[in-house]
Amino acid sequence: MSAVYAQDEYGRPIIIVREGQKKQRVSGIEAHKSHILAARAVANIVKTSLGPRGLDKILISPDGEITVTNDGATILTQMEVQHQIAKLLVQLSKSQDDEIGDGTTGVVVMAGALLEEADAMLDRGIHPIAIADGYERACNVAVAHLESIADTVPFDKNNTDMLMRTAKTSLGSKIVSKCHDKFAKMAVDAVLSVADLERKDVDFELIKVDGKMGGSLVDSVLVKGVVVDKDFSHPQMPKELKNCKIAILTCPFEPPKPKTKHQLDITSVEEYKNLQQYEKDKFNEMVKQVKDSGANLVICQWGFDDEANHLLMQNQLPAVRWVGGPEIELIAIATNGRIVPRFAELTPEKLGFAGTVKEVAFGTTKDRMLVIEECANSRAVTVFVRGGNKMIIDEAKRSLHDAICVVRNLVRDNRIVYGGGAAEITCSLAIEKAADQVSSIEQYAMRGFASALDAIPLALAENSGLSPIETLADVKSRHATENNPWLGIDCNLKGSNDMRKQFVFDPLLSKRSQFLLATQLVKMILKIDDVIMPGEIEG
Amino acid sequence: MQNQFLQPQIILLKEGTDTSQGRGQLLSNINACIAVADSIRTTLGPRGMDKLIVDNNGKVTISNDGATILRLLDIVHPAGKALVDISRSQDAEVGDGTTSVTLFAAELLKEVKLFVEEGLPPQVIIKGFRRASQLAINYIKEIAVSVERKNESEFRDLLEKCAATAMSSKLIHSHKDFFKKMVVDAVLHLDQESLNEKLIGVKKVPGGGMQDSLFINGVAFKKTFSYAGFEQQPKSFKYPKILCLNVELELKAEKDNAEVRVEQVSVSKEYQAIVDAEWKIIYDKLEKISNSGAKVVLSKLPIGDLATQFFADRDIFCAGRVGADDLGRVIKAVGGVIQTSVKDISHDHLGVCDSFEEKQIGGERFNIFEGCPKAKTCTLVLRGGAEQFIAEVERSLHDAIMIVRRAIKNKSVVAGGGATEMEISKYLRDYSRTVEGKQQMVIASFAKSLEVIPRQLCDNSGFDAIDVLNKLRQKHAQGCKWFGVDMESESIADNFEKFVWEPALVKTNMISSASEAACLILSVDETVKNAQSQPPDAGMPGRGKTILYGIY
Ligand SMILES: Nc1ncnc2c1ncn2[C@@H]1O[C@H](COP(=O)(O)OP(=O)(O)OP(=O)(O)O)[C@@H](O)[C@H]1O
Ligand SMILES: Nc1ncnc2c1ncn2[C@@H]1O[C@H](COP(=O)(O)OP(=O)(O)OP(=O)(O)O)[C@@H](O)[C@H]1O
Ligand SMILES: [Mg+2]
Ligand SMILES: [Mg+2]
Repeated sequence: MSAVYAQDEYGRPIIIVREGQKKQRVSGIEAHKSHILAARAVANIVKTSLGPRGLDKILISPDGEITVTNDGATILTQMEVQHQIAKLLVQLSKSQDDEIGDGTTGVVVMAGALLEEADAMLDRGIHPIAIADGYERACNVAVAHLESIADTVPFDKNNTDMLMRTAKTSLGSKIVSKCHDKFAKMAVDAVLSVADLERKDVDFELIKVDGKMGGSLVDSVLVKGVVVDKDFSHPQMPKELKNCKIAILTCPFEPPKPKTKHQLDITSVEEYKNLQQYEKDKFNEMVKQVKDSGANLVICQWGFDDEANHLLMQNQLPAVRWVGGPEIELIAIATNGRIVPRFAELTPEKLGFAGTVKEVAFGTTKDRMLVIEECANSRAVTVFVRGGNKMIIDEAKRSLHDAICVVRNLVRDNRIVYGGGAAEITCSLAIEKAADQVSSIEQYAMRGFASALDAIPLALAENSGLSPIETLADVKSRHATENNPWLGIDCNLKGSNDMRKQFVFDPLLSKRSQFLLATQLVKMILKIDDVIMPGEIEG
Repeated sequence: MQNQFLQPQIILLKEGTDTSQGRGQLLSNINACIAVADSIRTTLGPRGMDKLIVDNNGKVTISNDGATILRLLDIVHPAGKALVDISRSQDAEVGDGTTSVTLFAAELLKEVKLFVEEGLPPQVIIKGFRRASQLAINYIKEIAVSVERKNESEFRDLLEKCAATAMSSKLIHSHKDFFKKMVVDAVLHLDQESLNEKLIGVKKVPGGGMQDSLFINGVAFKKTFSYAGFEQQPKSFKYPKILCLNVELELKAEKDNAEVRVEQVSVSKEYQAIVDAEWKIIYDKLEKISNSGAKVVLSKLPIGDLATQFFADRDIFCAGRVGADDLGRVIKAVGGVIQTSVKDISHDHLGVCDSFEEKQIGGERFNIFEGCPKAKTCTLVLRGGAEQFIAEVERSLHDAIMIVRRAIKNKSVVAGGGATEMEISKYLRDYSRTVEGKQQMVIASFAKSLEVIPRQLCDNSGFDAIDVLNKLRQKHAQGCKWFGVDMESESIADNFEKFVWEPALVKTNMISSASEAACLILSVDETVKNAQSQPPDAGMPGRGKTILYGIY
């Protein structure tokens, strides 16, 4: 009567498979229990990757692609979960990812724990909806308590210390923890360069995260500007330009071609020559138009042939061709230029400006990229991740994404709570207290919620090799005796449980969202008493 | 593909049952209806459960709504389908009570099954049902409490209560207080004469808690696909003029099928002329739009990169490929006329609103028009963890919106939680005693069938149904007409005082359509058999899914 999932000690792909037993329908409480079982199986899978000492998982896709990751949302989406209820947990982690970016493992672990508690309560005959209502009530208590214990972290463009520390907490559990500082700094700088601190808004479109194989993680850089995976169109063009006035063109360097269907028949040599001459004149005219506008660099969305290329070179007009639409837009924004659709419309005001544009070679490869820096508008940035192989780069990008999200969340709302399970433990205690005031049956459910919260510190302790129950009991009692809500699990064995001193911060937004989303989902699962699939009907 | 707990809850039966005889067929139809009702029995009431349904395309729906579940089950048994139809029509007419109507219809049939087996002619039963149903409806009208719309805040209160009752069986029930305000705000925002609920837009943004849902006083829709240059357009305006188009703004061939033939290279300068002409066409269009004074340009058709950049240069906001219904709502709200050409745009073709803004909501960017002068519209932006979750929130709000509309139109309410059903049941039972002969039995069964609602409410909550029903019968005999099942005390209470209110229309419609459906099923015997042996009738879905036949 169990959902089977396969997982070996290396965390190889895990698939929940059906059991080939005789089909039989379950309903009522039995159905509930089987749903819970499936959901918990999923939660157990990601539990081991929670926290700074959590393990990574290697996932192999059906076509052999390998992903190494610690990110809950990634693990779950890449796993082929079949069970309908289990799939809901995958969605849960995805919505935390969409909304907050970090905390995607924690939210699933919490939902799993809530369901486990619910299971026990169902056994005691408590109605699933009564459990759901009690959870809701407990969640409200928890969220209110979180808000009451939250600390505000001051920061501004020059004082980023707190942002750094929060970003580091998020990176702590990832592969990149070796170059912690570097990545945290890149995340903070990237967000702060594009953030509108007044409106508390961070436009993610302005942050591009790019990666290229070669070098190591330490070589990753934040470019205050745009990086395009292109090079100058002619090898003899200069590799570095200063004070660039950039013409950003969406028209090709070629003679005009009507969109109307047309046909041209060449019947004589003379005509052919004429045509060539005509094309040449056109090129010259175009180059002249660009030069006249004052531009000294052309970025072109389309291509041009060798002849045009040669001509550009001769005219000392460096050019880049085949730049994609999104990059064109990013360059336009960064350099405060306008995208120009026709040569005839080029004017000096429409040009973009960048302090330097240079071609950079990476590592030993021949690959070159164009780095556009010191732009007129400093808001667009690119994070450029380096690493030995694709897996590392991908995971580093994901981790960086988490960290960027964390910083963004702090820009939106600069309140934090303490990590390492500290927030969960104090909420758990607060709910216990509140439950005492409740006379109805919901009291049990609230207590259940309180003990479910322990799952986070328990998992953190277990993953760090501590004895989970003793560690938690110890910290919990100190919460009560020392009345100190900052105590958590000392995952990195630093010798202190004070998360405030260890600077383990999680944004309030993230914790709040974890609580709300997990509760919501668990309520939804508790309300389902039947899963109806299409398919064969047996008589 | 399924493991053992994913077994289709299928409602079964073996084909080749006794279908030869009229009566055998009739009984098998009755059984089919009971089977259909059984599939949604547990969803009734505040402690009702939800169903998770996977369709053939793998799309998952989680719902408590009777009509939705039955629709997805894709029932093809002709008799079973009759029940699906009434749940649908209840949904269209009233919006709520779709589970109740199905249960009640099935219960009516169950009650008279014995009579049928004993050979009572169906016509007799039908006659009795029609009479009972008429009496019941008249009686509801008599006891319903009507509220005059004199005092706005009192009236609003009434509406909120009806909304809350409709929501109480849904996933959102613990956020009733939040959503009932939203729903009532939305309906009161509409023109009170027409109450066109289509003007309430609902947008779903996955993520966030449901309490992060928003009420927007105007129209909102998701950012459409945009071309390079879009980010350089301004994203907020005060009192902008709005132009809605059904025009493609892209650099295109002059005439779609025109073909030019260029004879000589020397004339290939003609190329330039053609190209210039092409550019002139689009620029003329753009120029006209920009001269019209519009600051926000929307089009059903694509707006290309050239146009996007042109607008960006002139501080105009544009969005192409706006969905037809979104554009329709914008036009209704801000005024103006959708233009199919840009030839002569005059002032009154443009709409206006107080403010326009592109805003981030969750992971999505939204275009929001607020303070619209023309039509009273509003938009509900729903948030929630999973996609299916929001879909269910939407359905639940739809129920509540429909109920509030009904309440505004009819202004009379009754108490829920089985109170009304118990009261009619008592009334009919009393009445039946004054009738002679077989009709007495039939009307009494009708009366008994009504008890299915409170009984199911108890069963679903885990209460002792026999005990609760006894208490209720006693109370109603004493003339306390609003006593029904109470969730808090796990017993009974005066649900009118508990504010479990529902528009009277929910009940009258439930009774009349359930009894009609029961009569319909009782009146067919041979016909159904024919329908079954013939190739599947029109309603047979090609998807071939859950198929219901009769039982046994
Ligand atoms: N140095 C630390 N000491 C103690 N606890 C820590 C430390 N760093 C992080 N944590 C805790 O680890 C948890 C985060 O773990 P992790 O980053 O693996 O998962 P997640 O954030 O839930 O999901 P994901 O990062 O996969 O989206 C949080 O509860 C955080 O408070
Ligand atoms: N607070 C309450 N206490 C007792 N009964 C209630 C309460 N709220 C609603 N009910 C009852 O629950 C029943 C409605 O249940 P439900 O909404 O699940 O089904 P429905 O309205 O028939 O169908 P659907 O909503 O699926 O279209 C009604 O009989 C109503 O009176
Ligand atoms: Mg994390
Ligand atoms: Mg309802």
